[in-house]
Amino acid sequence: MQNLTKKYEKVTAVDHLTMDVEEGEILGLLGPNGAGKTTTILMLATVIKPTEGTAFVGEYDIRKQPEKVRGMLGIAFQEPKMLWVSTPWDLINWHAKVCGLSTEERKGRVKEVLNAVEMWDARRKNVSELSGGMRKRVEMAKVLVQRPKIAIVDEPTAQIDIVGKHRIWNMLLELRDEGSTIILATNELYEADQLSDRVGILHRGRLLICDTPKELKDSIVGGDIMDLQFEKDAPLGIVDELKTLREVADITQLKPTSMRIYLNKVEEIVPRIMNLFAKKNVQITSVRMSEPSLDDVFAHYTGLTIEEAQKDEE
Amino acid sequence: MIERDVRLFFQYKFIIILRAIWFVAQIVLFGLIASNMMNVNVVKDYFRYYVAGLSVMTLYSAAIFIGFDIYEEAEHGVFEYLLSLPVSRRQLVLGRSIGGGLRSFIYVGPLIAISLYVIGSLNPLQFLVSLLALFLFSFGVSGFSITLAVMIKSSDRFDILMGVLDALIVRLSTAMYPLVIVMKANPAYGELATFNPVTFAADLFRWGTGLESIITISNPLLSLLGVVIFFGLFTYFGVVIYERRIEGGGWR
Repeated sequence: MQNLTKKYEKVTAVDHLTMDVEEGEILGLLGPNGAGKTTTILMLATVIKPTEGTAFVGEYDIRKQPEKVRGMLGIAFQEPKMLWVSTPWDLINWHAKVCGLSTEERKGRVKEVLNAVEMWDARRKNVSELSGGMRKRVEMAKVLVQRPKIAIVDEPTAQIDIVGKHRIWNMLLELRDEGSTIILATNELYEADQLSDRVGILHRGRLLICDTPKELKDSIVGGDIMDLQFEKDAPLGIVDELKTLREVADITQLKPTSMRIYLNKVEEIVPRIMNLFAKKNVQITSVRMSEPSLDDVFAHYTGLTIEEAQKDEE
Repeated sequence: MIERDVRLFFQYKFIIILRAIWFVAQIVLFGLIASNMMNVNVVKDYFRYYVAGLSVMTLYSAAIFIGFDIYEEAEHGVFEYLLSLPVSRRQLVLGRSIGGGLRSFIYVGPLIAISLYVIGSLNPLQFLVSLLALFLFSFGVSGFSITLAVMIKSSDRFDILMGVLDALIVRLSTAMYPLVIVMKANPAYGELATFNPVTFAADLFRWGTGLESIITISNPLLSLLGVVIFFGLFTYFGVVIYERRIEGGGWR
């Protein structure tokens, strides 16, 4: 994506978005509703045209070769797109046909996919009779039956129960393992963290940062926290000694027998800290580690929690 | 796309059944009663004339239905889905235009069979030509409906406009009443009615069923030409306007 921009009169939905998506990865686009995720997706899918900038899907420009682009993409929309008169079987079979699957291929694959999303028994029901979760699964089935080179999924597990979420997450991971590149738009931090190889944080139409979840968390100075409890009071001077370590961002001592250390790159520094206490014969009775979440990352880059950002967008 | 539109139409069972009831009621009630009101010296066999015209009117209203589908799809977000499919915009609109025409043709098929039974005559070769013309006519009406649907963004406005156009196009044709009567009411109406695609289609259907004596335009080739131009024009406009309107999110 190169300076991809979409303006609706005075509102800039996507503001000069520049980023790359690597082949075979799951790229999470994380942001509250209204951050520009869906607009970005619709531009990539050539459903709407950018006001400025462009994007290349493979070697194809979304502005100049939209048909070629659509041939590489499969999209599961946030709101399942189906008329109330359709049935899951009709929808998936027709989708497979439009995507170029032969009658022979369709026969097996439609059944396989409807089974995978546990919709085979409900295949002849009108979509008006399906629950929200079932509709979402049918929407996902479109992408699964297509097996596109690039799959775009927009909030695939919104309003889905936890069992349904895990089912859809597994499907996405399988799709990635089969060779598809996946762009996952979500406002669920845990989902982005668990599924994404890299996460791009969008806020007010802008990309604030894009990196692996681990790097994003590590990018917060002092984001990792180590809580220590000692058998006796901590020796004098240990705080100053710890502060000389580059990875230690801050230390607070609420009681003489406990200490909270704010760290960077926890996996590298923890053994050194433990050695230091061992050398000074300090008996540690408990250690508790906590790493920053993507919520902390989001707050770090936007100055808002995702809930506050959501209200802000509204 | 064609298959989808055809299948989708036949899911609207309630509408289809009511339309068929409407069709039969028009024949056995309005057709029979109105034919008794007609002066036989002016129109020899108004009942058969009316039945043939009614088939074309029904074909027109069934083909118009595709425009309403477009609004329904926009409302359910299906439009975005269709635009994301790996087909060109041209294929999409042509598929819809053909699908809209084909499904109305299939739908009207049994009603045409009823008409033929009631009319009681047929010229097989001419009838085949007239069927081809009706086929093209229904594509043209679908293209016309799609063109207007993507130009007008409000379904309410589209609904009202379709009502107005129905009054102007169908009522100002010779589908329901012979040209001589239209001329008598107002010569200008008569002039307009002779350049109306519904008139062309109705003429060709009557010609195909052997009712040559009461057709508006004496040379069926001119009616056929009129239908072909109507089909070509609105299929072209449908494609061009659809492409321009929808590209870039213009349907929103």
